[in-house]
Amino acid sequence: MIPINRIYTKNDIEIWKNSQIHEDILKFITDTQEAIDGKTNGTDCEISNTVEKLLKVLDHVSEAIERHPVVYEKDVSRFGKIEFKDFYKDVEKNSENWLSEISNESLDEISAYFNESWGNYSRIDYGSGHELNFICFLYCLKQLGLISAQDYPAVILKVFTKYIFIMRQLQKIYWLEPAGSHGVWGLDDYHFLPFLYGASQLSSHPHLKPKSIHNSELVEMFADQYMYFECINFINNIKTVNNGNNEKLSLRWHSPMLDDISTAKNWTKVKEGMVKMYNVEVLNKLPIIQHFKFGELIKCPDEIPEHEESEIDEVGHGHDHLNTWGDCCGIKIPSAIAASESLKRSGKNQIPFD
Amino acid sequence: MDLDNDVPMEDVEEQETHTSPTSISSSIKPSNSSKTITSQQQDSATTSAKSSSQLDSSSIGLLDSWIEKLSKCEPLNESDVKKLCDMAIEVLQFEENVQPVQVPVTICGDVHGQFHDLMELFKIGGPCPDTNYLFMGDYVDRGYYSVETVSYLVCMKVRFPNRITILRGNHESRQITQVYGFYDECLRKYGSATVWKLFTDLFDYFPITALVDNKIFCLHGGLSPMIETIDQVRELNRIQEVPHEGPMCDLLWSDPDDRGGWGISPRGAGFTFGQDISEQFNHTNDLSLIARAHQLVMEGFSWSHQESVVTIFSAPNYCYRCGNQAAIMEVDEQHNRQFLQYDPSVRPGEPTVTRKTPDYFL
Repeated sequence: MIPINRIYTKNDIEIWKNSQIHEDILKFITDTQEAIDGKTNGTDCEISNTVEKLLKVLDHVSEAIERHPVVYEKDVSRFGKIEFKDFYKDVEKNSENWLSEISNESLDEISAYFNESWGNYSRIDYGSGHELNFICFLYCLKQLGLISAQDYPAVILKVFTKYIFIMRQLQKIYWLEPAGSHGVWGLDDYHFLPFLYGASQLSSHPHLKPKSIHNSELVEMFADQYMYFECINFINNIKTVNNGNNEKLSLRWHSPMLDDISTAKNWTKVKEGMVKMYNVEVLNKLPIIQHFKFGELIKCPDEIPEHEESEIDEVGHGHDHLNTWGDCCGIKIPSAIAASESLKRSGKNQIPFD
Repeated sequence: MDLDNDVPMEDVEEQETHTSPTSISSSIKPSNSSKTITSQQQDSATTSAKSSSQLDSSSIGLLDSWIEKLSKCEPLNESDVKKLCDMAIEVLQFEENVQPVQVPVTICGDVHGQFHDLMELFKIGGPCPDTNYLFMGDYVDRGYYSVETVSYLVCMKVRFPNRITILRGNHESRQITQVYGFYDECLRKYGSATVWKLFTDLFDYFPITALVDNKIFCLHGGLSPMIETIDQVRELNRIQEVPHEGPMCDLLWSDPDDRGGWGISPRGAGFTFGQDISEQFNHTNDLSLIARAHQLVMEGFSWSHQESVVTIFSAPNYCYRCGNQAAIMEVDEQHNRQFLQYDPSVRPGEPTVTRKTPDYFL
C-alpha cells in the first residue's frame, strides 16, 4: 500500500503524540542512537547482507546525481536548481527496482519513504521532515525483519552517514532551499539527526567537550569521524565567510541555538537533550508531521479520522486545508550554499554574511 | 593537548533569565540632535501637532530614553514593553485600515529582525522624523533581533505618530511567529512568552494598508479577489489575528504573478494575481502604483506588471546568508520615485545576549 498523509488537525496530532506508533518510532531512534554510543564513523562493525545492499542502493542515488548535472541558469538564479527535479524523477522511477534487491515485500511502501527522503520535488527544498522519512524507511526494513538490533551500528555509522553525505551533495549541487526555515533560531538549516547521533558518538569522549565546537581546527580535524563535528564544519564552511578583515564569524551570529547548546555540561546532556528536542520540535510539530505518511508498516492510529479528499492536495497545503499555514510561509529563500557559491563566482566577496 | 581552555565560556548562564538592569530615571535626557525635529519640519507637519500634543513631557522623556536604549540594540525590559504596547494601542487603534499618508515619504519592505540593517536603512534614507517613513510589515521572525527591531519601530511610531506608518505583515501574527523565530527569540531573551504575547496582541491594531496621496496603494502582500475597491478595505474589521482566508488574509499574503488572472498561491494562503488584475485595480481606484513587500528580490526592489506593481525588500543578505541587496523607495512631493539600495551593515562585534543552556540540555 502506498503510504498517505493522515495528520491534518491539532486533534490529529494529539492522538499521534500519544500513539504506540509514535513511541515505536522514537524508540527506534533512541535504540539506534544508543547503538553508536562512543563509536566513530570509522569503527569496524558487522556488515550484514542487507546493509551491504543498502550501501549499494545509495550508490545508485549518487549515480543518479551524476546523470543530472546543473546546466540551466547555472550562475544566475540563487534559488533551487530545476535539475533537482530530474534527479528526483530518476530516483522515483528506479527506486522500486533498486530496493527489490533488498525486499520484494511492501516494495511500494518502503520506496515511498525512500523517495521522500531526498527532499521536495516541487519546492526544491529539504528539511527535518524529509530526513525523518529516511528513518521511517529504515524502520520499515526493521519491521520486515531485514535489519535487527545488531545491525544498528552499521545502519547508522555506514548507511545513515552515507545518506547524509549524499544529502550534502544534493544541497551543494542543486542549492536545495531549507524547508520551513526558522532563520537564526533553528538548530540547523537542513538536519537534525546527525546532531542527535553525533552527540551519542561523543558521549564518552575523554577530551572533546560540547564547547569544542568553537575550535574550528578541532572541528575540521574530527569532522570525518564524528557527525556532530561534520555538521559544525559544514556550517563553518557555508556561513562563515571572511568579512574583509580575514576575520571568521562565530556561530553566535548565525547559529545561536548551537552556541547555546555548547554550554551543556557534557555530551550525555546533549545526547539526551537532542532526543527530547527532536520529540517536541520535529515529531510533535504539526507543520512537519502533516507531511508524515502512514501505510501498513507504519500504521496510522485508528482514532485519527479520515479527512475529505478535497482537503488533501498534492503538496499538502491547499486552500481548504484544516491545518496551520505556518509550515510554508512560502517565501523562496536561497540556501547559504547558493549565496556563497554565487558570491564566489561573481568574485564579489565584500558582502559579509553569516 | 588541553581541549578545555580553547574558548572562554564565563558568560554561561544556566538557570535565570538574563534581564539587563535598566534605570529609566537616570537615562532621561534629551535625545541626540539627529532625532530632534527641526523647526522647518514642524511647520510642514501641520497634522502632527494634534497627536504629538497628546504626548505629555514625561511620556516623551520615557520614549526618548527607550529609543536611546534601543538604538544601542539593547532590548527594553518587560514592564517597559508593557507600557510601550499600551501607549501604542492608544495611537494605532485610531488609525484607519487604509491609513492616509502624505508625500514626501520613504517606503520600506521586510526587515525581519535585522536590527543593524534597519539602522543602516535610517542612515541611507535619513533619520526619522526628519524623513517620513512607511514600513510595509514583517518586522519580526528569522533574524536575531526581532525584539529590538519591533520595539524600536513601535517606539518611533508612538513618539512621531505622523512621521512614521507601520503596516502589518503576514509575520505580525501569533501563529506565524510561533514557527519562524520571534516566539523562540522572546523566550530566549526574556525567559517567558509575556513579551511575545504583548507584541502579538499589539499587532492586531496595526493598519493593514496605506494610501500615499491617494495614488500609491501600499500593503504587505497584494490584492484579493474579494476586494475591488479601496473602500471595501475600509469596511473590514482588522482588529483580530490574521485570518486563514478572506480579504484581510489575502492583502497580507498575495503575490503578483506572470500569469494573468487569479491563481492558487503556492504559499497556502492568499492568491497570485496577474497584470490584468493589477491594472484593473489601479484603474478602478485611480491609482498610479501598488507598492508591496513580502518577497525576497535580489536587487532590493523589483517591478512587475509593467510598472503597476513594485516589490520592495529591505532586509539585505536576508537570513544572514541570501546575498541580496536591500532597497527603499523615496517618493517626493512631485511623486518622483527614487530607489536607494544598500548592502548589509558592518556587524558591531558579537551579539551581547548571554549564552544560556536550553532547557532540553540541562
